[in-house]
Amino acid sequence: MSPFTEDELKKKVHEGYIVESPEEMTEGYRKALVVQLTVQADTELMSAPAYWMAARYAPSTNTQVSAHAIIQDELAHANIGYRLLEDIGESKQHLVYGRQPHEFKHPYGFDQPLDNWAELVVANGFFDRAGICLLSDVFQNTSYGPLKRALVKVDMEETFHLRHGEVWMRRLTKAGGEAKDLVQRAVDWMFPMTIEWFGLPDALKRHSGQLGYKLKALTNDQLRQTWMASTVPLCEQLGLNAPAHWDEQRGEYVLEYPFPCQYDVADKRWAFDAGEISWDDVFKRWKGRGPMNEIYVESIQRSRGDVGRWLNGTVA
Amino acid sequence: MSGGRDVWTGPLQSIPADPLAATWAAIDEVLDPEIPISLVELGLIYGVELDDGVVTVQLTFTATACPCMEFIHEDIEDRLALEPWVDRVEIVEVWDPPWTNERITAEGRAKLKEFGVGV
Repeated sequence: MSPFTEDELKKKVHEGYIVESPEEMTEGYRKALVVQLTVQADTELMSAPAYWMAARYAPSTNTQVSAHAIIQDELAHANIGYRLLEDIGESKQHLVYGRQPHEFKHPYGFDQPLDNWAELVVANGFFDRAGICLLSDVFQNTSYGPLKRALVKVDMEETFHLRHGEVWMRRLTKAGGEAKDLVQRAVDWMFPMTIEWFGLPDALKRHSGQLGYKLKALTNDQLRQTWMASTVPLCEQLGLNAPAHWDEQRGEYVLEYPFPCQYDVADKRWAFDAGEISWDDVFKRWKGRGPMNEIYVESIQRSRGDVGRWLNGTVA
Repeated sequence: MSGGRDVWTGPLQSIPADPLAATWAAIDEVLDPEIPISLVELGLIYGVELDDGVVTVQLTFTATACPCMEFIHEDIEDRLALEPWVDRVEIVEVWDPPWTNERITAEGRAKLKEFGVGV
């Protein structure tokens, strides 16, 4: 039983109070933290099979070691998230092995197939950067002490993933020709995919528990701007077209396409010409999950059952 | 995002009296791409020689499957190339003696502790 009421705790954390144990949490705080950590851990976990299946396109053994090291990091980061969830009373076993594919809370972007080396490195450059934007905010601002401490090393490792993405985007675009075309194709579907990842625009957003309990500080729109502030200049530098630009008058990055927008899964194309769709349509698409959702989740869950049976006839 | 390249100070304006020491100092600015402590602090540099503009760096890695080998090579070469007395950089990978965490310097240990990494 928390010694605080919801309002007291909200006020305290905004004055700098750091929550260290479940006993201090109100029910509202705990719920908001569970949602945040589940999304965080699921995102790290589901990036692993997506990157794993794409790592086979690595052009050298050395590069493959780097790609696999990124996957290992992602699994470790997921493990940290689930471990923190265990500390506040959730079951890691259930979260990883007991849920149906559609019950995972990772973004729709990690339900997509990565079909060549260019797509993997743009995923490192775009998706991992989105992860860094989100987690840096959490690291700097969270009122939950154990998470803040856990994120120190996570942030450092994500920086390496981002560099891997940027270095390879640079190499491929410099090579020109087919290599650059493939990067541009990847940017064409992954840029809007990441923009959408940050969620509802602030104007439409209902009250956020995570901001209320200071589990983070930046809003969806602010995070989207942070991401664009480094992604758009990178694309410009590499001679890649990104559908956004800096608007001098508004003092922010603006998108050059209707947002949100319809996505053609089979073709990996955004239907910019079809005009703006509603967020309800987006939520419906997210809920339906993407083409690789079941395959990725199955790839994570499969072996545990098999090996468990070999060892003792039951699930380990 | 920099992987530590934003902390580089060079190049020096003139050739220093002890270019070998200055070469070590330059390598000491090259950080591990994952954790912001230097290659020297991490104990990865087994030796540095300077011969008529050619720097030979003896380098090891924390693991044979180090994911950052290429980045570390690049960073050493790019950092040293900034200096006026360096014409060419040769990196020799050394695996003997194998790296252990005993090789981390006292400064390195103190920084790692700050980042919450135990050694």
